[in-house]
Amino acid sequence: MEDAVTRLKNAVINYEMETIADLAKKALAEGVDPLVAIEKGLAEGIKVVGERFGKGEIYLPELVMGAEAMKAALAVLEPAVPSGKHRASAGLVVIGTVQDDIHEIGKNLVATMLSANGFEVVDLGVNVASTEFTKKVEELKPKIVAMSALMTTTMPRMAEVIGPIKKKSIPIKALIGGAPVTDVYAREIGAEGYSGDASSAVDVAKKLVG
Amino acid sequence: MAYGIKRGIRFQILSDEDLDRIHWSTLHILEKIGVQVDSPACRKLLKDNGCVVDESTRIAKMPSHLIEEALVKKKTSITLAGRNPKYDAKLDMNHSHITANGNGAVTVDFETGERRGSTKQDVANSSRIIDALENVHIHWPMVSSTDQDPAAVHLHDLDASLNNTEKHVMYETGVTLSDAKHLTEMGYVAAGGEKEYRNRPITSCLQCTYAPLQHDAGVMDASLHFAEAGVPLVFFGMPQPGATGPATLVGSLAVGNAEVLSALTMIQLATPGAAVIYGMGNAPLDMRTTIRAGGSPEHAISSAMATELAHYYGMPSCVGVSATAKVPGDQSVLEYYTGCVGPLLAGADLMCGVGLLEDSSCLHYEEIVMDNEVVGAIKRLIRGEWADDDTIPLDVIEKVGVGKNYLAQRHTVDHLKSEHFMPTLIDRRSYDAWSTSGSKSLRDSARDRVKAILKDHKVPPLDAEKQKKINSIIESTKKGLWGGESKTY
Ligand code: B12
Repeated sequence: MEDAVTRLKNAVINYEMETIADLAKKALAEGVDPLVAIEKGLAEGIKVVGERFGKGEIYLPELVMGAEAMKAALAVLEPAVPSGKHRASAGLVVIGTVQDDIHEIGKNLVATMLSANGFEVVDLGVNVASTEFTKKVEELKPKIVAMSALMTTTMPRMAEVIGPIKKKSIPIKALIGGAPVTDVYAREIGAEGYSGDASSAVDVAKKLVG
Repeated sequence: MAYGIKRGIRFQILSDEDLDRIHWSTLHILEKIGVQVDSPACRKLLKDNGCVVDESTRIAKMPSHLIEEALVKKKTSITLAGRNPKYDAKLDMNHSHITANGNGAVTVDFETGERRGSTKQDVANSSRIIDALENVHIHWPMVSSTDQDPAAVHLHDLDASLNNTEKHVMYETGVTLSDAKHLTEMGYVAAGGEKEYRNRPITSCLQCTYAPLQHDAGVMDASLHFAEAGVPLVFFGMPQPGATGPATLVGSLAVGNAEVLSALTMIQLATPGAAVIYGMGNAPLDMRTTIRAGGSPEHAISSAMATELAHYYGMPSCVGVSATAKVPGDQSVLEYYTGCVGPLLAGADLMCGVGLLEDSSCLHYEEIVMDNEVVGAIKRLIRGEWADDDTIPLDVIEKVGVGKNYLAQRHTVDHLKSEHFMPTLIDRRSYDAWSTSGSKSLRDSARDRVKAILKDHKVPPLDAEKQKKINSIIESTKKGLWGGESKTY
């Protein structure tokens, strides 16, 4: 018989989205430390899922369902974490698609891959006003602000966010991407990180916080 | 002679019962699930016409009679006019028209091979190439003028296009009300006035709906303006089966159909009789690489089925094709061939569009010419065949008799050009002849043709008076960095 933590890990790996919340509740009832359940169960499970996707062993829907399963269990476990304690995370990332741009698939993938690799991700959605980005950055103090732009006309919005943040010398790294974005452009506007796809976005993000 | 590719063959994929069922499901979606409408102006329009609109979710549920009425009110005979009338594309349900692909941000430099941001000069050059090609009928600004002021990129794109081709120009960059006003105005100027433009619209705008089941505020506000101003519109659904639409192709078609028909309905409520073309381009998301699988068999068959659905509604279709290849060559040809042949066999009225790689992101000039050849072959495939005295020349067969040949017959010469596809790039020479003239690949030959076009093909620009007005429209956007207003919710 597996212990509760291993069961949670496997439930993420097998993307048991519908039933994992019950497993999490049962684990708490059995007296399992919620932090251990998150770090040794969920996080370990999603790591395996992310690696398998990276190697091409599983497909995107399976990755997303793994992430959904993790989310469902987190919703049960996180409130049970004693106040003052925090789950270990690779870092907080605030992500969104820039103002006037509604392309979301790439951004969602990057968010999923980041959370599958231990980052805590706050997704602001699409068509995020530049002022909303700066507001959230000041409020949540993330390690990384990540922005997606899919159109040549909306790319300058990223500079519009980075400018004020730099001026206020907020200690944060900017990570940008989207089909028309290049590393050259990233350097031009003072973004520390750029990546052309979701898997390498994780490597870049790790370097930025490391 | 009518412009475009005359078609005589039509494959049927969906049965009448299938189409009825898709239509019924679409009405169900619109009435019970609804669509999210981000434009306050459109929400008001829908509310005033009996839709149930929830202001907090912005979701509008639309009664089916509104949709049916819109299908009655729409304009049925649409001509996309060219600056030169010989290029007028009549969407008569009998001809297929190929469009250029549009707005790639990246170009591989034709001289240096460097991969770099696209420039206004690239827009001008590709426009001239499109003007010269016999199998591409409608122009799009193929790339974005990323070397220009960001607030006016789309206007520079249109400026360079109008000056370098006499074919109809369709753009997809009217995404705010101010964009729409400027683009419309430029069309009026180029046509010689509003009245002339309304009579023969030489530009049009393609607008994407936002899968699943959403309408962007800026896109719809711009569309209301275009419709009122007489600019023909394409509403282009693009759910990606498995990602932003059901994994089943027909399921995604139903979702896209609900988006297109709801957009049509809003437009017909605001401007009855406005010209709207039915658009769809459902390429699945490749679930291993997360790249949109443009030019896949699923993309092709989805575009073919969307064409059948458009015709079921009595609307011309504008359906998608693209390619994920990184360089012009074997993969790009395979993808463009697959992507074009399916929809064209099903009778696509507009096929958008050819010439870009990396799923509509990157321009290599050679690819445009290679795709022109791909279409040339398909053109022959869909012409249609028939049996009559002329195609079965019993008299000639008797004259030639047994064991001789048909080479010296008038009938042969008379039918050569219409019956047999004469390739411009495909090399059918013997090995020896091919190798002694440089062992050229298809791409090499395409390069040669690009060079010849850029050297010799001339296109009359707009006259100085018109150009002055166009320059001042572009100038007028200098004020703000983005030229446009921000979106409202
Ligand atoms: C699907 C699509 C849409 C869908 C989006 C659906 C959705 N829910 O997101 C819809 C139909 C709504 C749409 C609408 C429009 N679109 Co569009 N769209 C596309 C298309 C075909 C694919 C984008 C996509 O989803 N790719 C798949 C994802 C997985 O890839 P990705 O986004 O590039 O993301 C990857 C990387 O870039 C990177 N990445 C992305 N973001 C980030 C962020 C960070 C931080 C990092 C590190 C990495 C990263 O990692 C991702 C995963 O590997 C592209 C063409 C293309 N091939 O890019 C055009 C394209 C982006 N669209 C375009 C246009 C013009 C429009 C419209 C204006 C059309 C119109 N007139 O209505 C509207 C936009 C309205 C608006 N205000 O935004 C143009 C832009 C042209 C230009 N030069 O600017 C493109 C390039 C097509 C073209 N060539 O014409 N579109």
